[in-house]
Amino acid sequence: MSRISHIFTAAAATAMLLATAPAYPEPTRLTQEQTMAAVGAVQAYAKKDGSDPSTAVVDRDGNIVLLLKGNNAAPHNIGLAQRKAFTANMFKMKSIDWRDATKPGTERANERQTPQAIPLGGGVPIMIGNEVVGAVGVSGTRGGQEGDTAGAQAGADAAAALIQRLQAQARN
Amino acid sequence: MELIRNGVAKLAMAVFAVFAFSAVYALGQELVKSATLQSLSNLDISVEQALLVADGAIAECKKDNSPVSVAVVDRNGAVRFLVRGNGATPELVDNARKKAYTARTFRQATRDWMTRTAIDAKDDNGKAIDLNGQQYLENTIAEVGGMPIIYKGDAIGGVGVTGSKGGGDGDEKCAKAGVAAIADQLL
Repeated sequence: MSRISHIFTAAAATAMLLATAPAYPEPTRLTQEQTMAAVGAVQAYAKKDGSDPSTAVVDRDGNIVLLLKGNNAAPHNIGLAQRKAFTANMFKMKSIDWRDATKPGTERANERQTPQAIPLGGGVPIMIGNEVVGAVGVSGTRGGQEGDTAGAQAGADAAAALIQRLQAQARN
Repeated sequence: MELIRNGVAKLAMAVFAVFAFSAVYALGQELVKSATLQSLSNLDISVEQALLVADGAIAECKKDNSPVSVAVVDRNGAVRFLVRGNGATPELVDNARKKAYTARTFRQATRDWMTRTAIDAKDDNGKAIDLNGQQYLENTIAEVGGMPIIYKGDAIGGVGVTGSKGGGDGDEKCAKAGVAAIADQLL
């Protein structure tokens, strides 16, 4: 009798779990619309800046979602934009901050050996609260690494705003 | 007095002759330089055009909610713009890029290129043409959905679409819509 009641309890608990939690975790994923909004914001920044940057957007797995090569981009620009985005996504911080945190001679300097990562400013994570859902990388603005970071920030903010709007709609 | 005047005139003529000769010589040198040492400036698809093409293709495919990936390559066949469709894998996006590359480099729709490079392809006179080897070239892909972007007979880029619900035909329809979005700039 007690065994049967145990089975019942276990079954009931399982049923409750299934009812409350989704079958699989569903991480927030960047959509095409959100990445297009990001590149639009970077282009708007570039227009104000009078520059012609290259832009990359990666998803939370570090894979490319979008690439845009500037009209007069140097050969390295587009690959560099991608690596900056990869770096920001992987270390969950602006690549300019990661650069400063991994200076040669410091404890974290070895992190610079990470394949595809690059200690140069211009990569900014797309943050929803504390969650990183991807990153934007920019190369080729007028303001050097700080300018690239500002351009990428504009892109990341535009994508994050769309995601938050989507989440607010889902809650209502 | 006469002698001096003669001397001055002769000197002036000599100076003038030297000046005239060097001027003609320098002009000749410039002409040779401009004919032989000019760097190239080729037309290429711009960022603004590439974004219009991609928007056009995505809008066409949105009509049946197809989550397409779109690639636009420049005149060198290198990526100018690339965007992944929702849910598409990184490998699938690369197919879009290859379609754009193939259309650009062979300056025709990938559909036409596939017909031309088929194993049993024949020319207009019914004579067999064996161009199938072209399909072994790197970065090419024998799939429908790539269109060249041509300005006055000059291929300045290509667009490739993949992931539409209509398969290759649907991909091609969206790629054509993309090119049509900048048709007024290609006249």
